[in-house]
Amino acid sequence: MFSVKDRDVVIPGQLLGEKIRHDENCFDEGDRVFSAVRGMARISDNTVSVIPITGPYLPRRGDIVIGVVTDVGGSFWILDIGTGANCILRAETVSRDRNPDMKGYFDVGDAVSMKVDDVNEINDPVLSGPRKLTGGSIITVNPMRIPRILGKKRSMIDMIKNKTNSRISVGQNGRIWIGGEDTQKVVNVIKTIEREAHTSGLTNRISAALDRSD
Amino acid sequence: MANKDIELIKDGKRLDGRRFDELRNIKIKAGVLERADGSAYLEWGKNRVIAAVYGPRNLHPKFLQDPTKAYLRCTYNMAAFSVEDRKRPGPDRRSVEISKVTADALRCVVMLEKYPNAVIDVFIEILQADAGTRCAGLAAASVALAHAGIPMKDLVSTCTAGKIGDEVVVDLGKEEDNYGEADVPIAILPTKKEVVLLQMDGKLTREEFDKAYELAVDGATKVYEIQKAALAMVGGN
Repeated sequence: MFSVKDRDVVIPGQLLGEKIRHDENCFDEGDRVFSAVRGMARISDNTVSVIPITGPYLPRRGDIVIGVVTDVGGSFWILDIGTGANCILRAETVSRDRNPDMKGYFDVGDAVSMKVDDVNEINDPVLSGPRKLTGGSIITVNPMRIPRILGKKRSMIDMIKNKTNSRISVGQNGRIWIGGEDTQKVVNVIKTIEREAHTSGLTNRISAALDRSD
Repeated sequence: MANKDIELIKDGKRLDGRRFDELRNIKIKAGVLERADGSAYLEWGKNRVIAAVYGPRNLHPKFLQDPTKAYLRCTYNMAAFSVEDRKRPGPDRRSVEISKVTADALRCVVMLEKYPNAVIDVFIEILQADAGTRCAGLAAASVALAHAGIPMKDLVSTCTAGKIGDEVVVDLGKEEDNYGEADVPIAILPTKKEVVLLQMDGKLTREEFDKAYELAVDGATKVYEIQKAALAMVGGN
């Protein structure tokens, strides 16, 4: 028995249903299932889940994240990827050298895009495949909006890249690196997507907006 | 405490014309601060409160880090201009106490185990005070936490009740608080009716306390509806 409909806005502690299965961002007490966050309830078959409207980023296996180096150690870098967890990038991901020139690879303040290989039980990510992002600028958006900014099969972001002729790297942690001629235009478009993420027909409107200003 | 010079109840009505079980006007708006992860602005009678939530983020000093759960830190602060006589800025005995009881109440609902080693910072700023600021602050903080998208078991809804001129009433105003006999602030989890904060200043008999408790729980339930409405608005992050 569901107490809410598909796409309803729910708040923490709200009853979602009884004797149902539940997925992300829900919790149960006996037979009763409640929402743990403020978000949109999604119902499929006998399972309910809640998509948060806002929220902190938790690393997941397979994510691409963008971090900023905050400290350089003898065999590791410490990065800020915008989570509460400690985030360490080990030197063997870039070099087999026993004493690598750490600062030659990444120095404090450098932006790095990395892949999350694994996440341990306290949400610390194991990172690999670092790539330095030189030039350009980084903006921060609500991490829950990233899927909308990427679009289905990255359609939205590919469209923005092609139409503005810029290089964009999107981190699942809500950081977006933009390199190219017209950064301000890309920033405006991404902020529009973030603001209007819950509306439909967004891709067409963004496409029209990009064509118009040319 | 009791000051017979001030008549708190006249013709069955209170100083501001409210009934005994009537709350002051309450208005809540979520998402008022651009740079905070979650925020809420609350007007409760003449109280004006802003609550901001930051995090989960890295916790310093490091010895406070707990690898099994996050740490919830709460700071209640009254602005120097929030009361009639200028308040000396900075933490004092009262604000340290309120910070502590607020943090304790919020720890009951926030799923801290999801963010090990991290800290969730809650800041409550009282811009204008008019009795019942700990309740106002806690109600705003709970909306700000939900707005930040931090997993919680429930919201926290609050209300006060008290005794003025031999009558038990809900949601004391400033004069009622200053010249009344007793003041009972409570905070509950509205869907389960569990108590997460209960304090009492002054003296009540057992019967009076039971009545005050009932009134405060009813008041908190009304506050919950306002909190719910504030959070139901999508957009405007």
